[in-house]
Amino acid sequence: MIEFDRRRAMIGAAGLAVGGMATARLLPEEMLLRDRRPARSRVAILSEAGYSEGLMDTLVRALRLFNLSLHNKSILLKPNLVEYISGVEVNTNPVLVGAAAEAFLRLGAKRVVVGEGPGHQRDTYLVLFQSGLEDQLRMQKIDFIDLNRDELCKVPTRATYTGMEHLWLPRAVLDSDFVVSMPKIKTHHWAGVTLSMKNMFGVVPGTKYGWPKNVLHWKGIHRSILDICATVPIHFVIADGVIAMEGNGPLHGTHRHLGKIVLANDPVAADFICARLMGLNPSLIWHLDRASRFLGNGLGRIDLIAEGLPQQIVPFDVLPEFVHLKIHA
Amino acid sequence: MTTTPREILKTYLKANEFWRYHGNTGAIEPTCLGLLALRQESDPEIIFAIQVLHNLQNADGSWPAFAGDDPAGCWTTALVILVLLAVGGRSRALESATHWLVDAKGREANWFWRWKFQTVDKSVQFDPAKYGWSWASGTTSWVIPTAFALIALQQIKNRGLNPTDSVVERIDIGITMLLDRMCPGGGWNAGNGTAFGVPYAPYIDATGIALLALADHAEERGVRASLGWLGNQLPGCPSSYSLAWGILALTAYREISSEVSETVGRATEVLTALIQKGVGTNDICTLAVCTLALEAAEGDNVFEVRE
Repeated sequence: MIEFDRRRAMIGAAGLAVGGMATARLLPEEMLLRDRRPARSRVAILSEAGYSEGLMDTLVRALRLFNLSLHNKSILLKPNLVEYISGVEVNTNPVLVGAAAEAFLRLGAKRVVVGEGPGHQRDTYLVLFQSGLEDQLRMQKIDFIDLNRDELCKVPTRATYTGMEHLWLPRAVLDSDFVVSMPKIKTHHWAGVTLSMKNMFGVVPGTKYGWPKNVLHWKGIHRSILDICATVPIHFVIADGVIAMEGNGPLHGTHRHLGKIVLANDPVAADFICARLMGLNPSLIWHLDRASRFLGNGLGRIDLIAEGLPQQIVPFDVLPEFVHLKIHA
Repeated sequence: MTTTPREILKTYLKANEFWRYHGNTGAIEPTCLGLLALRQESDPEIIFAIQVLHNLQNADGSWPAFAGDDPAGCWTTALVILVLLAVGGRSRALESATHWLVDAKGREANWFWRWKFQTVDKSVQFDPAKYGWSWASGTTSWVIPTAFALIALQQIKNRGLNPTDSVVERIDIGITMLLDRMCPGGGWNAGNGTAFGVPYAPYIDATGIALLALADHAEERGVRASLGWLGNQLPGCPSSYSLAWGILALTAYREISSEVSETVGRATEVLTALIQKGVGTNDICTLAVCTLALEAAEGDNVFEVRE
């Protein structure tokens, strides 16, 4: 009798385990992840007509609104530096990057470095030089780190969207106290938009994942964005939307003078607001929608601490497959 | 005062037992390019670095990207083959590496993905029947890994080390892949020449490496167009890394016209000036490629693929 009960209990336990595993696999990934969303997120929209010398003072004032603890911190700025196309604002503007570096130093940071691992172009120095960022950083004595070729650390992924158990990530990113994603606000021909979360593709090293980071494309761009952003700390966002890009972004779109810079203490919240500024519905962008369920905040939990969203927004032009993202007045 | 890239490379060699991009992790690409640049030196550190390379070979004959990497082969295998060819001859390591390289294919070589790219997923314009090599296993073909693999296999074939049908077939398909992915007007971007209906602009380094792989096909119209594009880009190139790849490529075509020879001469002067200014001299890959470019300008091109 005792033997029978033990056998039945073992079969029952095994059944429960198998059933539990099967159920877990059917659940949306974010239901299995720890909810890391802050109670509220803060986003500052700033109007800026151009890339002027006054940007640094503007950023200092705006950063103070966030009450950040920057004293003695090492800061890594991660701009979007893709490649140089003459006459096209493809990259985060070097003047804005320089202004951000100066602003963080002014607010007590111990050290500011700029890091990026361009996606397609292997000659990082050439992109750095042609984009004007090399000149900007040299004038300010700010170091640049090629994240495609930095020392790598094996880090367990903190989300499960790609099925990758770990990512090899640059030590410069992992060792920084404060990582700032500095995207260019653009449309993207695969992901719909490229904002502060998609910008973090650039921390994934080409030496391991190729140029572009093709392994991640095959795992799914939206899924890869989620795994990267769940695994790599993003402490702050400064998004360049002074001159943004619409249409066939991220390289061959057209300029859109949005005249905005967006600061945020939550990349998901930043991207929700940037998408709204683009006249696009963030909840229909797969990685943003999913991220707002566990990683950061969507519209209902965002405080706009500077300007509000404009009353009238003409949606960005997008490729036909993304027309459904447009918010129509 | 140390001024030539070769001399600076040797100081790195003395200071580091295994070369790296940055930090403390030994990496295959800088090690291979460094060894190619110093292949005629006989320092004990070089012997040691070659031994370290041997030790890092995966069980399947491939090489990882860096020491401590996951044991999956990648594009660096072709670079190691070039080193093994430069410093020795037939070996078991070379044989297994060659087998791995012949078997490695871009994902579009698989019938399912080829069908998908031909019928459903047509936003990027290319012929998936023409495939090459990827950066990492399980992904599509890209220009630079394909070009390095083609240089390695052509050198293997030309030396009679493995002139089998399978090697010849991979070389032929790889050549057609490179020609298919060329940008309109010549030169190569990272992968495809056109996507979403937009022609992509070529990169100097990718174009240089692709042209090295195609040196036995100088009669191809696309190759000629690419040479013309590259020749126009080099005079104003501010990067010693790209400039060096450009010089390496043009030296492989020097005999086709005096104009190419003159461009090589002028570009070499610019490269020497950039090195003197310190552009790229903190990077082993750049130093190595510069050394190889200056050597090629003197008539010894380590990436030569013609018999």
